[in-house]
Amino acid sequence: MAVIELHDVVKTFGPTHALDHLDLTVEQGEVHGFLGPNGAGKSTTIRVLLGLLRADSGTATMLGGDPWHDAATLHRRLAYVPGDVSLWPNLSGGEVIDVLARMRGGLDEARRTEMLERFDLDPTKKARTYSKGNRQKVALVAALASRADLYLLDEPTSGLDPLMEAEFQEAVLELKQEGATILLSSHILAEAEALADRISIIRAGRVVQSGTLAELRHLTRTTVIVETDRPADGIAQVPGVHDPEVHGNRTTFDVDSDHLDAAVTALAGLGVRSLAAHPPTLEELFLRQYGDEVDS
Amino acid sequence: MSSTSVTGVGHLLRLVLRRDRVRLPLWVVGLGGTIVASALAVPPLYDTPEKIAGYARTVGASPVSYLMSGRQVGLDTLGGIVANEISQVAQLGICLMVVFLVVRHTRAEEESGRAELLRSTVLGRDAATLAGLVYGVATALLVGAITTTSMLAAGLDAGGSLTYGTGLALLGVAYTAVTLVAVQLSTSARGALGLAGAAVAVGYLVRGLGAMEDNALVWLSPFGWAQGMDAFGDERWWPAALLLGFTALLLAVAARLMAHRDFGGGLLATRPGPARAGRLLSTPFGVAARLQRGLLLGWAVGLFLLGMLYGAVIPTVPDLIASNPEMADVVGASGQAAEDALVDAFLGYIYLFMAVIACGFVVSSVLRLRAEEEAGRTEMVLATPVSRTSWMAATTAVALIAAAKLTVLMGLGLAVGYGVGSGEWDRVLPQVGGQLAYLPGTLVVGALAVALHGLLPRGTGLAWAAVALIALQVILGQLLGLPDAVQAISPFWHLAAVPVDDFEVVPYTGLLLLTAALVAAGLWGYRRRDAVTG
Repeated sequence: MAVIELHDVVKTFGPTHALDHLDLTVEQGEVHGFLGPNGAGKSTTIRVLLGLLRADSGTATMLGGDPWHDAATLHRRLAYVPGDVSLWPNLSGGEVIDVLARMRGGLDEARRTEMLERFDLDPTKKARTYSKGNRQKVALVAALASRADLYLLDEPTSGLDPLMEAEFQEAVLELKQEGATILLSSHILAEAEALADRISIIRAGRVVQSGTLAELRHLTRTTVIVETDRPADGIAQVPGVHDPEVHGNRTTFDVDSDHLDAAVTALAGLGVRSLAAHPPTLEELFLRQYGDEVDS
Repeated sequence: MSSTSVTGVGHLLRLVLRRDRVRLPLWVVGLGGTIVASALAVPPLYDTPEKIAGYARTVGASPVSYLMSGRQVGLDTLGGIVANEISQVAQLGICLMVVFLVVRHTRAEEESGRAELLRSTVLGRDAATLAGLVYGVATALLVGAITTTSMLAAGLDAGGSLTYGTGLALLGVAYTAVTLVAVQLSTSARGALGLAGAAVAVGYLVRGLGAMEDNALVWLSPFGWAQGMDAFGDERWWPAALLLGFTALLLAVAARLMAHRDFGGGLLATRPGPARAGRLLSTPFGVAARLQRGLLLGWAVGLFLLGMLYGAVIPTVPDLIASNPEMADVVGASGQAAEDALVDAFLGYIYLFMAVIACGFVVSSVLRLRAEEEAGRTEMVLATPVSRTSWMAATTAVALIAAAKLTVLMGLGLAVGYGVGSGEWDRVLPQVGGQLAYLPGTLVVGALAVALHGLLPRGTGLAWAAVALIALQVILGQLLGLPDAVQAISPFWHLAAVPVDDFEVVPYTGLLLLTAALVAAGLWGYRRRDAVTG
């Protein structure tokens, strides 16, 4: 069952098409990585899901309801961490956590204590004195300390140090084990790679790729670095091979995943001394996605 | 300040002018325009020597006039009358203008973190403070120049016009310096506004009291110094030296404070808060009330004291009849009846004046909604099961209930002040009741802000424009001879002028209904529009 289902959603701000016929499906119980460059429409999508913005056209369903009309009801089952956290300057961090949790309908005391400890947050400081990372932690603790079916996390780790980043990843995996669904918008590709079951890449208001990491990799190329006894001049003629570079005995090239077999066969007669092939990292996928789009 | 510590002040001033290309003209045209209109309106009204002489003996010698405008000299000349008529708006206006503009470009920038980005460029440590000073002084001089020019255009005495405009400008300069000290003390822009605003209020009230009692108290206030230059009278210039010396002293204090504090820091330190939220913070109403606690407390103390002060001077009002028999003719009675009529007229004006001040509170309280939404905090609240309606209704309720509480407090303040001043404590209920007779006017203004936030979020500034228009109508409506259709914009114009006139149920209820309708419209609109996102 899909927890989030956006179909053909359009949202414009004056002449700007923030969402341009966007489709997005997030299944029950998955961590869904939502990737895209600045201004691609990630936050707008999340704000439509929160009922803060009303879509101009298209259909949106979240947790079986309409995000605009049933906002307050749906929010009983949802927790949110904004990307740019602003807190009430004259309230302490602890007060902010309690206020948000109570508005959400109560919090899990044990988890509140645990999260404060894990994220090493002093709840007695006034919000105006927190650094960016600490403000982010307040929002994270407030969200993670309450039980929810769906977590909408909009770049939740911006400003966190690597130790806290590790704590965050662990906490997300725990939520997932408990059966929660998580939409994780992020810039940190290693984070999405570590956590996400499925990934959607958004560009200029539309989702341009969506699938599991394996599926996305399959759609794209593997990088091969090979040393052979005889120069692999012929490799360029193999279908599916891109950007071959031959330097004496050392050859590098990219190959479409479905032509990997043919490429390896072509290399076989050349006396392979070493062979390294790696599937693209998410970062390469991401850059390639944009590189291609920009080229075309 | 060394020369390198102010490097880049020119760039900064250009940025200030660019950012304020709408705000600055609004202040200058709004304030300057009011002064021009008032200055030009006086001569046709007082076109015979008899009328001018009458003004000096009646209007100019009334307790309200002393309290609000001080003791202006030369009231037997047209110039003196003009100066007396415009001084309340002009003096308070110029002070509030520099306070808002200077805080906006100093502490507010520092608090938001934008100044940090600027400071990383080639910009001296004191450049922002100097830019604030130059900006405040320049706008004050501009308004002073407009004042002098409009007085000259009205055909008034040249020396008097120049003296008056100079005194007014120097008052603005002095409060620029006050503001620059305030922004060193508080780490928040709101706190700095509060401190500087309180300094304006104290200066204004001290002068008013001194004028009412006709004693040396006036010389403790910059307002008194500006007026002490005796424009359209002896025209003496030494009080200008007081204003300049006061300015220099405060600037030295500000520079010293500045040199000893960190970027973003202040002298009033931030204390740690509780680790857990209290029970109050369990409902949207409780949260909204907590967020406004400081605002409410400040206004409650300020307005109670203001009420007390006005209450305390009531017993001295009848003395003015003894010293000025023509006053009795004006109020159309004699003996005890005249005294009562005079006290009633005084009270009526005080009620109205304080109700208009409360409009400032109710608008700033309601518009916290706007600030919260722009800062992105409303987004976190609306991501919880709290609906838009309940969040907005909670803040609205906090604002309107607080306006009612403040009204009761102002009435109590009047009663306590009167009790202290006269030794009689039998007027508590009438005072509170009298003040409450003006409450619907304040509520309607708050409700207007609610409606704007729901229906026209970009236009919430119009609520402040409404407060300014109402203040204008109340203070200058008669002088400017505004047609009834224009005066009717002010909700207070419709209410019975208690205690001079008898209480009227119909307009009172009508305004309460209008309040409800405006609030409902605002809530309706808010449910339908996109949230403003950062």
